[in-house]
Amino acid sequence: MLFNSLTFVVFFVIVVTLYWSIGSWTARKNLLVVASYIFYGAWNPPFAALLFSTTAMDFWLGRQIGKAKDRHKRRVWLVASVCMNLSMLGFFKYGNFLLQNFQWLLAHIGIIYQPPHLDILLPVGISFYTFHSLSYTLDIYRGVLQPTRSLRDFILAVSFFPQLVAGPIVRAGDFLPQLVRPQPLRAGQFLWGVAMMTLGLFEKIVLADTLLSGSADRVFGYAGPLVALDSWAGVIAFAGQIFFDFAGYSTCAIGAALTLGFHLKDNFRFPYAAIGFSDFWRRWHISLSTFLRDYLYIPLGGNQVRPFRAALNLVIVMFLGGLWHGAAWTFVVWGLLHGSYLVIERVSRILFEDKAWANNLATRILAGAATYAAVCIAWVYFRASDFTIASRMLGGMFGQHTHGDAILSTREMLQVALVTIGMISVHCSLRDSNIETAVTRLPRWIVTAAWALMACAIILTQGTSNAFIYFQF
Amino acid sequence: MRSFISNFKERLRLPRLFFRKPSRAEQIHGGPPLEFERPIPPVPWRGMAVVVVLVVITASVGWELYCRAIGYGPTLNDNEDLWTLRRRAVTPESIVIIGDSRGWFDLDLDELQKGLGKRPVQLAMGGGCGYPLLANLAKDESFHGTIICSVVPRLFFAPPGTPPMERAEKAVKRFHSQTPAQRASQYLAFPLEEQVAFLKQEELTLDDLLKRLPIPNRPGALVPPRLPPYFGTLDCERRARMIEACARPGSELAQRIQQIWIPLFTPPPPPTYIPKEQFVAKIGEAIGNRFRDITIAVEKIRSRGGKIVFVRFPHSGGLKELEDRETPRAKTWDPLLKMTGAPGIYYSDFPELAGFNCPEWSHLSAGDSVEFSKRLIPHLRTALKM
Repeated sequence: MLFNSLTFVVFFVIVVTLYWSIGSWTARKNLLVVASYIFYGAWNPPFAALLFSTTAMDFWLGRQIGKAKDRHKRRVWLVASVCMNLSMLGFFKYGNFLLQNFQWLLAHIGIIYQPPHLDILLPVGISFYTFHSLSYTLDIYRGVLQPTRSLRDFILAVSFFPQLVAGPIVRAGDFLPQLVRPQPLRAGQFLWGVAMMTLGLFEKIVLADTLLSGSADRVFGYAGPLVALDSWAGVIAFAGQIFFDFAGYSTCAIGAALTLGFHLKDNFRFPYAAIGFSDFWRRWHISLSTFLRDYLYIPLGGNQVRPFRAALNLVIVMFLGGLWHGAAWTFVVWGLLHGSYLVIERVSRILFEDKAWANNLATRILAGAATYAAVCIAWVYFRASDFTIASRMLGGMFGQHTHGDAILSTREMLQVALVTIGMISVHCSLRDSNIETAVTRLPRWIVTAAWALMACAIILTQGTSNAFIYFQF
Repeated sequence: MRSFISNFKERLRLPRLFFRKPSRAEQIHGGPPLEFERPIPPVPWRGMAVVVVLVVITASVGWELYCRAIGYGPTLNDNEDLWTLRRRAVTPESIVIIGDSRGWFDLDLDELQKGLGKRPVQLAMGGGCGYPLLANLAKDESFHGTIICSVVPRLFFAPPGTPPMERAEKAVKRFHSQTPAQRASQYLAFPLEEQVAFLKQEELTLDDLLKRLPIPNRPGALVPPRLPPYFGTLDCERRARMIEACARPGSELAQRIQQIWIPLFTPPPPPTYIPKEQFVAKIGEAIGNRFRDITIAVEKIRSRGGKIVFVRFPHSGGLKELEDRETPRAKTWDPLLKMTGAPGIYYSDFPELAGFNCPEWSHLSAGDSVEFSKRLIPHLRTALKM
């Protein structure tokens, strides 16, 4: 079920009420397991069985890795876990994509092959829960985590409903320790959780769905050439939409977890105030970028290797990061673009880091603006469903369609402009801080008014149950 | 010297992937340093929450009272989930109403039940094309009931990718993919929407309120025309009824809606990025394909013993002039009946059906819809050989 649906409101109230009225910690955890499976099964009940089977397999494989004394055996069990998780992901998410590309390759060598179209329904959130589960066996193999004895605890770590379908990617090592002893009900923590849920829903329902998505959808869905103003407005609208959509989900997840006494780490840290691309990736989808860093980039050698190899590592990681987002070449190009940005940034650092002008305010502002613009350009490939649309959009953005059409109303452009200015101002002002510090420092009446205003705006918008963009990943 | 490839392969070997030896402090379960606690801002949360709840309740009550004062009343929202609930009510022998908003507003289910012996299932939708549902029923091998299909040519022959088609396709798609959570949300929405006037998804949302701002657009901007404001209520069977404020002859609301229909029913200019002749040929081809697809769907339903009747409902004033000019009967209605071989009822062919006045040019008032349904029944029985 979606956070922005009536079903979730009722479900959440029931779960929270029962959770805090039960005294036994074991019963509470059992309740959360049942609730999480109801939450997930409400999309498509059979997929709950799939979730359980992969979880149970990883639990068993984790124990085998933990038990094995011999390094070779540990490796075998780990390979089994990695293969099981990735093949599940590969079948459901990349099955048709791989078949299509195989067909294309064969056609190029003169073999006509018509693959059957696999009518595969993508289990919602499979990319997320696969990584939740995989982190467990990986960390046991690395020796940073001991296998848990409780299957129930591990099931809960993988399927905990606030973060189950669209992240943050919570590693078992971060979550399992929280299941050891119960947290008492603290009014401040509970209400701060509710406030974060309000903020997350406001970001999703009001900012992403109401104020930005219409412009982005119209621009990317238009079949003809557009003038530069509309093209840029559409791309900037999407840049805001995807941030508010995904950050909104993460904020809701963190808030919902807090109301139940669990602590999830930040997934976004004001990314549009980033100066440079490595800074951007330290602020955007932090749980994925740290996952890729720890389990892929560093093991590949990270930046402790020759510069060329380090650059190649970056590109490989971003290529796979792009592919993780979706089974399409547009996502791959998006990932590769970010990989190239990171390489260019690294080269620039080597060349100019020592220069006095490189760290002055003007350069930093320019670098921040350039980062934002480059990220927006990359979003074109992320949002466009094919390369024709992406090329047409880029053509429009860079003035190739001087006689193109104008399709956005003045109101839509004003909405995009105002929300974007507001978003970037907030990101810049909180760049080196966090939301908790801002709430502490602001006058109480402003925090109260903002909270009430967000709640009223959510009610006024009546949340039309648009799915979160990241559900499809 | 080792080749780059072999070096790379070695790097990719799993044991090398995880070479970093964790520190002793990291080898834990259930203790620091992996434990993480979020900071909680030290502010008086209880007091603030009470104020927020009071403000939200006061604002919601105020907004509700204001909406009622300016003429809004509680009614269900027409969305894909409500439509899907009704679609699920279709049995193999059902009488089903499909098509656009005229079949939705102008037919009274009670009267039809009295006259036809069965309560029809209302599946017509405002601004929607009837074809996707016709195709959906044709595909449903178990269905061999009766279809009453409202035809507004501009909607019924709308090419793929246009809003009337997308709207109907979205509903059919939801019927096939509705999740238990979406279904539950719809049941939970019933009591709320039946009591609260401001819950109107296409009228009183923030987005709709922003659209009403009088901000002029750039010259030449291709901005879609506005949709009409609230003028009807809907019950859980999806029976639509025009509200009194619109049904009053010459009312301000009816006049406002009349002026909205004109741009909405006027064909948009051909796109600038395709030569006009090519565009016209493309549209012609799409309409030709639609005739063919409708014929196939009708044949399928009839081959299983099902029946279908096309109905053209009353419309008047400037909208009738516009429809007669842009989608003349000779080019739409007549070929439709000829190609499908299905019976049709064109309201203006029968004096007892032709005398109704549509207050906002497109739909009958709630009272007139009852009388119209009564008068339509004999024609339906004849056409359907009942």
